Amino acid sequence: MRITVLVLSGVIVALLGVLLGAWWTPFFVGAAFGLLIHRPAVAIPLGTVSGLLAWLLPLAAAQLRYGLGPTSVSLAEIMGFDHQGALPVVLTLFVGTLLGLTGAWLACAFWMLVRPQPR
Amino acid sequence: MASAPKRRPPIRSFINVAAAILVTAAVLYVAFFPAGPLPALGPTFNPTTGAWTMAADAQVGNQALRLHGLQQPVSVLFEANGTAHITAQTDHDLFLATGYVHARFRLFQMDLMRRQGEGRLSEIVGKAALDTDRFELQLGLLRTAQAEWSQLSASDPSRDALIAYAQGVNDRINEAEAAHQLDAMFTLLGYQPKPWSPIDSLLIKGDMTQTLNFTDTPLVMALLNKSLGADLTSEWFPVLPPNQQAPYDPGPYPKASTAPIETMGQVTDAAAQSADALYQRLAALPAGLISQGGASNNWAVAGAKSVSGGALLAGDPHLHLTLPAIWFQLTMDSPSYHVAGVSLPGTPVVLIGHNQHIAWSLTDAQNQQTFFYSEKEDKAHPGMYFWNGAWQKYRTVSYEIPVLAGQATHLDVKLSIHGPVISERGQTTSVWWAGNLPSQDLGVLFRVGQAANYQQFRDALRDWHSPTHNFVYADDVGNIGLISAGYYPLVAHGQPWLPMPGTGEDDVTGTIPYDQIPQVYNPPDHIIWSANQRQVTASYPYYIGTASNFFDPGYRANEIHRVLSQPGKLSATDMQALQTDTRDFLAAEMVPALLASLSGEKLTSTEATAVDFLHSWDYRMETSSVAATIWWHYWGWYLTETFQPWWKSRGIGVDMGEVWDGLTQDLETWTLRDPNNRVFSAPGIGSRSAGDAERKSFHKLIGDLVKMYGPDPRTWTYGRAHQRVLENVAHVTGLNYGPRPDRGDGNTPLAAGGYPSTHGPSWRMVVDWGTHSFQGVYPGGQSENPASAWYTNRVDTWWSGLLDPMLSADMAAPAVGTKTWSLRP
Repeated sequence: MRITVLVLSGVIVALLGVLLGAWWTPFFVGAAFGLLIHRPAVAIPLGTVSGLLAWLLPLAAAQLRYGLGPTSVSLAEIMGFDHQGALPVVLTLFVGTLLGLTGAWLACAFWMLVRPQPR
Repeated sequence: MASAPKRRPPIRSFINVAAAILVTAAVLYVAFFPAGPLPALGPTFNPTTGAWTMAADAQVGNQALRLHGLQQPVSVLFEANGTAHITAQTDHDLFLATGYVHARFRLFQMDLMRRQGEGRLSEIVGKAALDTDRFELQLGLLRTAQAEWSQLSASDPSRDALIAYAQGVNDRINEAEAAHQLDAMFTLLGYQPKPWSPIDSLLIKGDMTQTLNFTDTPLVMALLNKSLGADLTSEWFPVLPPNQQAPYDPGPYPKASTAPIETMGQVTDAAAQSADALYQRLAALPAGLISQGGASNNWAVAGAKSVSGGALLAGDPHLHLTLPAIWFQLTMDSPSYHVAGVSLPGTPVVLIGHNQHIAWSLTDAQNQQTFFYSEKEDKAHPGMYFWNGAWQKYRTVSYEIPVLAGQATHLDVKLSIHGPVISERGQTTSVWWAGNLPSQDLGVLFRVGQAANYQQFRDALRDWHSPTHNFVYADDVGNIGLISAGYYPLVAHGQPWLPMPGTGEDDVTGTIPYDQIPQVYNPPDHIIWSANQRQVTASYPYYIGTASNFFDPGYRANEIHRVLSQPGKLSATDMQALQTDTRDFLAAEMVPALLASLSGEKLTSTEATAVDFLHSWDYRMETSSVAATIWWHYWGWYLTETFQPWWKSRGIGVDMGEVWDGLTQDLETWTLRDPNNRVFSAPGIGSRSAGDAERKSFHKLIGDLVKMYGPDPRTWTYGRAHQRVLENVAHVTGLNYGPRPDRGDGNTPLAAGGYPSTHGPSWRMVVDWGTHSFQGVYPGGQSENPASAWYTNRVDTWWSGLLDPMLSADMAAPAVGTKTWSLRP
């Protein structure tokens, strides 16, 4: 139950941050997961998913509202990817995912370094 | 109880932390900062405020908006194709709303154009643009715009218009920044636009002036002179056109007391070296900064010769075809202003269009407005130049040019009495350019838009300086007129087609009086036309430029004149057809001469088939035409066959393409009227005639075409050889339109020079005052957003040679698919 609340809170905070323009929020949410959960096997996937969702959901909403096809193709063209409209989408989600992942990973790694080590 | 002693963390924890730090640092770095060609990924791809907002920006719906600075409510109605109809209750509000609408759809384009003019491109693209910025700051568009602004009196209506327009642009900038709706290109380039000022609008006017009439022709002439000699240069590149042309103002002309035109003198080694250094520098600048000759058409037919009984007017200015286009179509209505047509985003006026009584369009007049001066200096007088018998101190202006990812660069610009010093390699060279004369051209356009008859139209144009334009006119009572308004510099003495000494004797002393510049009103044959040709005959008493590279060779004008002067009355449909006319006037002259030269010649079967195609050709450059392909390649071969040996033997340092138009006029003239001219017997070639060169060119050509297009001439259709492309202004090739096969060439009224062709009719307008029908179209769309339905929605109509109706706001309102913005204070 505690984990579920934690996860939901994290995703909501990350999402709100992104919606308000603070695109880096998933990094700190991931870091919070790492510091609060400690276990990398749990915290890192949670951070990753929260980052992904925080960037995916607004994109999905924009797709439903406006359609992102022409925008995606245009961005691909501007970036030199020809007509590969999927690439900006993948790149976008990758950035969000990496922010959450690295936040969680970094926090877990530091926690493991500084936590008391039993004999 | 003692606490348990801590164990040191295992080594893998350190490795884990190090790896996490490294990966996190890399991720955060590329998220926060640009890396190589990549923008900062975080802000760029942020789904709510990054480049993805392009999708929301592409939507245009009914909206109620509050704009700071409005005095009364304003209505903006958009047709389904994006044409904007702005209706305001005060002039102030009209211009403010125009600024807002322009910025809403074209802010990035406007920002790029002002940056170009003010020498600030390096700030957003880095040192690659530094040479361009240095040149622009030297040339002085910014100084001119500042001077124009400071000279505007407080009571001048155009001052109020510029201020209101800037307010509208800034309203949009503020709104877009607050809502994270700036054009995606700002996000991708990682900068935000600075506030708009009236000077920025004047800079954009300066950009256009530069594109249309800042030329390097005197430098080219100096280089030709040095390598060809004065006699051949004056023979091949004369002041008056050697070929038959159709000037629109046949005279009679007033008597003038002006200095006689001198014969060509020999250029010195030092002058040639300086010219070469500057020529190379200018040649390295991006396309569009140096005028390469214009190509636009306009004409009018008086009511007496029109089917409808009302005057007809047609105009199609030929410019670089870009996405977004250079134009934004709109109607502007306020108590004192009712005008429809196309505007330049960044400026608050309609440049080409109509009001309730008159219609107008323009082409570039192409008279010489650029003069180079070699300043006399010596070591005993550092920082000085000799002028009018005394040593004068250069004035200096300093600039700091910010450079993206680099240190700002300092630039000192020296100014002589003639203008800015733009080269100090070899002789110090300054440039006198009419575009640097502060002139209130926007005010002129306001008055043109308010004119109700020819007198008011002509009076308004009296203050137009640069670039010189052929303004065609037609009104609602059947009158037509054409006046080549602008500054025609008069030089006291010397050879203005070459760089001149800067010691004072050869200075620009004034301009041709307004009443004596080329102009015609209600001519007896009821037609007038311009297509960048020399406007006047050989008996015009003033020097206004040379035949080569100042004026067009005249084939479009000849063809337009040929069609308009045929018996019978003309309709708006005829105007539309003439705008897309693909008949090559030069081909109609030269192909018969080629066929005559081949008469009796032994031909291969492929050559004989090619000849058959030429025999049955109507001289139209259509994509399905085989003869068009043969002709176009043939003319290139014939020019090369004739002139390349001269270029090689004389070591001419100017690309032949630079003077292609001049050589074309020569070759046309000599082939038809002087077939034994010495040009055909180039050094190393031996004695021969035009016919010999024609035959040799043809044989070489057919072999070349077989290599390029295959052995079967029936497949050599022009569409395979000739394509057109509309280029994205940010140089994103993926956002271009085309290349796509297209008809026309540089000599046809449907102008399509170059391969692929990137210039052409940037706007087509046809007006019939008899039926009160107004039509127009430009290639592109109203929005710069490539995700918008209005990015390329007009291209197909334009490509097909069709026109859209230019509706008034009242006529457009009931149409399907309109959207309305209600702007409130």
